[in-house]
Amino acid sequence: MIWEIVLFVSILYLLNIVLLTIIVFKGPTIGDQVLAIDGITYGSIVLLILFSIYFKEPILTVVAIPLALWVYALDIYVSKYLERGDLGA
Amino acid sequence: MLDLFILIIRYIGLALITLGGFASVIAAIGFYRFKNFYLRLHPLTINTIWGCVFPLTGISLLTITLEELGAYKWFMAGASFITALIVLMLAPAGSHAIARGVHKSRTARVKPCIADLLDKDLCG
Repeated sequence: MIWEIVLFVSILYLLNIVLLTIIVFKGPTIGDQVLAIDGITYGSIVLLILFSIYFKEPILTVVAIPLALWVYALDIYVSKYLERGDLGA
Repeated sequence: MLDLFILIIRYIGLALITLGGFASVIAAIGFYRFKNFYLRLHPLTINTIWGCVFPLTGISLLTITLEELGAYKWFMAGASFITALIVLMLAPAGSHAIARGVHKSRTARVKPCIADLLDKDLCG
C-alpha cells in the first residue's frame, strides 16, 4: 500500500508542476513568474525524494538540499535586480 | 508493542505525504484563482509549508520504518528532515524579499485595491 500511495502523491505533485509551468510562461508580471518557479522547485524537491523512495535509490535525496538553496538565491537575486536595477558586484 | 509503534509512525508519515500532495494541487489552483501578485503570495505559502515542509517531515518518518532501504534509511530520513528545516527557514525570507522588490520597483499593481498604505499610487 505504501508504494501505491507514494506513486499517487507523485502524480499530484506532477500536476502541481505542470499547472505552475503554465504560470511561468504566461504570468502577468515577473513577480508571478518567480513565485511560480518557487512553487515548482518546492514541488520537485518532494517529488525527487518520493522517487528516491519508490525506486529505492537513496542518492536522489542529495539533490534536494541544493535545490532549496538555489531557489532562495533566485529570490534574492531577482528582488535585488528589481529594487536597484543591477545585481551589484 | 514495537510493531504497533512502527505502524503508527508509518501511517502518520503517509498521512502527512498525502496531505501535502492535495495541498500542492490546491496551491496550484490558487495561483489561477487569485487576482494579483500580492494575493498570489498566499498560495505560495500553502505550497511551501503544507506542500513541502509537512510532506518532507512525513517522508522522514516513513523512511525510518522502511526496511527495504537498508542502511540508507537513516541517511534519507536525516536528509529529508534537514531539507524541511532549510525550506522552513529560507522560503518565508525569499518570498518577503521578492514581495518587497516587486512593490518597491512598482512592477505589479494592487488591483482590485482596498488599501495600499505604503504607496497610494499603486492602488487600482
